[in-house]
Amino acid sequence: MTIPKVRQHPEHLEWVGKSIPRVEDPKFLRGRGNYIDDYEVPNMLEVAVARSTMAHAKILSIDTSAAEAVPGVVAIVTSENVTDHVNPMPDFGPSPDKHTWYCLAVDKVRYMGEGVAVVAATSRAVAEDAAELIEVTYEPLEPLTDMLEALEEDAPLIHEALGSNIPFHRKFTFGDVDGDFAAADVIVRDTLHWGRSGGQPLETVGAVADYDAATGMMTIHVNSMSFTHFLFLLANTLRVPSNKLDLQPHPSGGSFGAKFFEVKTATIAAMMARITGRPVKFMQDRLDNIANGDHHGSDRYYEVELAAKADGTLLSTRYKVVDNYGAYIQFGVGQHGNSLAQAVGPYRMSSIGYDLTAVLTNKCQQGAYRGFGSEVGNWILERMVDLMALELGMDPVDIRRMNFIQPDQFPYFIPTGNVYDSGDYEAVLNKTMELSDYKGWRKRQAEMRAEGRHVGIGVCTCQERSVFSATEFWFWFDEPVAAPVTSAPESVTLKVDAMGAVTATLYSNASWGNSPETMVAQFVAEELGIKPEDVSVVYAGSNQGMPATGPGGSRFTIMVGGAVEGASQSIRAKAAKIAAHLLEANEDDLVWEEGGFAVRGSPDQRKELAEIALAAHMFKHSLPEEIETGLEASHVQDHPYTTMPNPERTNLGVFYPFVGHASHVVVVEVDPETGRVEFLDYAAVHDCGTVVNPRSVGGQVIGGTVQGLGSTLYEEFLYDEDGVLRTPSFAEYLIPSALDSPTLRVGHNETPSPYTPYGIKGGGEAGRMMAPSAICAAIDDALGIRIRRLPATPERIVEMVDAANS
Amino acid sequence: MKSPPFEYHRAGSAAEAAALLGELGFDARILAGGQSLIPLMNLRLAAPAYLVDITRAPDLAGIGADGGGLHIGAAARQRTVELHTDTLATAPVLSDAISNAGQVPVRHQGTVVGSIAHADPSAEVPAAFKAQGGTVTAQGSGGTREIPSEDFFEGYFTTALAEGELVTAVTVDAWPAGTGHGFLEFSVTAESWPIALAAVLIHTSGGKIDRASVVLGGVAEVPLRRPEAEAILVGSTPSAEAFEAAAEAAAAGIEPLSDSFGSGAYRKKLARVLTRRALTTAAERAGGKA
Repeated sequence: MTIPKVRQHPEHLEWVGKSIPRVEDPKFLRGRGNYIDDYEVPNMLEVAVARSTMAHAKILSIDTSAAEAVPGVVAIVTSENVTDHVNPMPDFGPSPDKHTWYCLAVDKVRYMGEGVAVVAATSRAVAEDAAELIEVTYEPLEPLTDMLEALEEDAPLIHEALGSNIPFHRKFTFGDVDGDFAAADVIVRDTLHWGRSGGQPLETVGAVADYDAATGMMTIHVNSMSFTHFLFLLANTLRVPSNKLDLQPHPSGGSFGAKFFEVKTATIAAMMARITGRPVKFMQDRLDNIANGDHHGSDRYYEVELAAKADGTLLSTRYKVVDNYGAYIQFGVGQHGNSLAQAVGPYRMSSIGYDLTAVLTNKCQQGAYRGFGSEVGNWILERMVDLMALELGMDPVDIRRMNFIQPDQFPYFIPTGNVYDSGDYEAVLNKTMELSDYKGWRKRQAEMRAEGRHVGIGVCTCQERSVFSATEFWFWFDEPVAAPVTSAPESVTLKVDAMGAVTATLYSNASWGNSPETMVAQFVAEELGIKPEDVSVVYAGSNQGMPATGPGGSRFTIMVGGAVEGASQSIRAKAAKIAAHLLEANEDDLVWEEGGFAVRGSPDQRKELAEIALAAHMFKHSLPEEIETGLEASHVQDHPYTTMPNPERTNLGVFYPFVGHASHVVVVEVDPETGRVEFLDYAAVHDCGTVVNPRSVGGQVIGGTVQGLGSTLYEEFLYDEDGVLRTPSFAEYLIPSALDSPTLRVGHNETPSPYTPYGIKGGGEAGRMMAPSAICAAIDDALGIRIRRLPATPERIVEMVDAANS
Repeated sequence: MKSPPFEYHRAGSAAEAAALLGELGFDARILAGGQSLIPLMNLRLAAPAYLVDITRAPDLAGIGADGGGLHIGAAARQRTVELHTDTLATAPVLSDAISNAGQVPVRHQGTVVGSIAHADPSAEVPAAFKAQGGTVTAQGSGGTREIPSEDFFEGYFTTALAEGELVTAVTVDAWPAGTGHGFLEFSVTAESWPIALAAVLIHTSGGKIDRASVVLGGVAEVPLRRPEAEAILVGSTPSAEAFEAAAEAAAAGIEPLSDSFGSGAYRKKLARVLTRRALTTAAERAGGKA
């Protein structure tokens, strides 16, 4: 693929850009959302999973006799016989045969909370009663949770078949790293540690499976359907033909990445449905989700060096990264592709060194969490830029501003090979300075400090890459693991019925608590000249479906926008033929305006879409022969802009090309005696290209920022050295509420993408990708410390203050 | 997260509740607001075979003050007690403590006596009750008895109640005019469990402290009285120095455990900071009243 053509965006847009109310709200606010846990079918069983109480142990025997005797128990599957029923789970990691995972632990348990048995019973309560009675005899093995210890020669092995705990190591060099470091006047170095947090959706993952032995059809209702073109992998796991698997999507009550290709819950429900011959529901509870949800976020240790000239010109960054993936590595090191997509941030730097080691330990495995690893890269880079500013005695705003990629330099290829499509970083920074009253706060800060108050101000300027290409799942390896996948498609079908009413069918589980139906309604309204509230949005099951990837990597709005655009073009093309016939005009003389076709120069001679649709549906034989009945079109939107990596992997190609930007300014007051951080002000300006719905993007920014706050100050899946998960519920795993959150002031800047419909860029992960950098900088500024480890809990802040004072 | 099976009983009076407890035996638990017990059951950390619900017993619902102090029945909801004029007049430290205990909807369900009987050493209400002082009225098959607040808390979730006894009411002692109180806690997030707290009362007379009570929560197996700190305060003039000395003494002898919320060392440090700040507030309030 070459560079796509630069689009001319329309001057005037009727619906794109308007803060219309979410079209999803009425059903959700009335409790009619049809969430998966509300989905009940007759004769349905429910399951509970018995979980490992050990971090690392061989399973010697499992006694289910007491559990089987509980009235209401229908079937039990354990670690000892799970491989009789299912194949391994889908795995995009390196050498999946060397760290195989199933829906239950097999032979040994590799982390506390891993499933060892599943009970299907007449109710969840009965299933839990029985699960408690399952007796597992373990032979304990040495637990391993520390990622640096995992690298040692004599470390206990998590997967014996792998022969080490390192499923992946590779040193990448993009550009002349050594040359840039040799030319540097100043090099700053630091070690930084990003702690493991994760998305905490209000609704956990659930599935209701129903197997029809007569037809062989396995139907699974899920709240986590994505990657429909990869569902043959799930069919393989379930041992059903791929054309006998049908996933039916239900809206999900939040994901934040935590439901990204989550098919283990569906696997467990489906396995038990086939065994029992009855419909089976598996609704994760919070413990299931936290301990065994396969979606913990990044857990990284960095040694970083940043090189610059004496005047503050940034040259190069060298990273040595170790990432603690936990017991398995389902998505490979895709989280690091996200970091490399925007490795230089908004700054001109000519080279990047990236030495990446993935390790396996006795923790739950990683998955996706809002940012998918790029939020970590942002934090590291911004920490280092702040350190460089300190080293050079520069203002943190000035050093950023002087290194910005300039508007006339786009499209800008960064050393890793990815492209930044467009941007105006200085405009965003200027707006943020104004919105935050940065200068005024600096003045007030001085006054407050004179009163003995510990007030700090933090600034960050960060990227938000959007719309991943699936190359990032395999460009790590010399040889593609599977085929050279280059697209992550999204499809839509638009049907204009005989009355001219439009139905849009979506093919992934787009509803993650975001606003996919609102987006689609706005696009259809824009393209077909109708009102958003008149668009009906429905979801198709996977078996009748088209290729779709669903949300992830801030892709959905752009991709579905392209799909709607393509389908609308087909509809208008057919409608033009019909209108030309009805108007007895030449098709070339017709113009599309305000939802109908008119003869150019004779606006009275026109046919509305509804009239055309009626003819298309009812009067085929009055129309030219080549026109078939109906007015419906589907469009598969493939990735608009991606290129292949080079064989040496010194250039990874274009894989995340639509790159937004944001600047946050945070003002905090910190209590040095308790470590409490209080927000005095928070201003954020985001540029995600053309904004489809300012209100919903604003919501994304606010929610993402609060999640970023959580990752910065509180949230951590804490495993002690024995591998015991110390944070198995919301009593211990602390998430910020409204009471802990600043009142955000949000601004938008719009630098359209030249390559996407309307110029949209993704904005769904914004906030979380910026907040940690700005908040840490503010706390540092307040106390004269340097945060090197997240979360910076109150206790850790107090320790840093005490260390600085001693 | 579903509770194991249990049998539900509803008592119409204190006497009926006591009778049911006696009849059902060791495996029976009193259900009041359920804000601690029910989550523990759903987490399968508690599995009582029988619950005896006392929230519909009219003789347990009362709240009111007289010369002897503030009387709170076992079914009185925290929110009711928190906002009651008698509490604000007689035991404002209890009102402050309740206002920190969970969110408003939780306080509409939870009971003051339930929190005291549950005896979580990190909880707000037991610490405030012990700081101000009072008595627990226990009723069993053998009749009723009064247990001083000082003797009630024996360990983690363990009290001086005998088998078959329930708490029917507590009485919080009144302190004279010239009393000020301070209640401060530290929790990592606004809605998370406090990891340390301080409940203090001081009474001043003639510019000097003549009576002091300092109790810490979250640092030991019970709400912990700090007599060394009280000894420093009594006889001294309210001052930053006195409060710092008392706070240091309050924290000196404690050895809190570590958990996922914070280390023992951090809790110890918080205990000192919170005590000092609570005393400062208490002194301002005592001065205002004098």
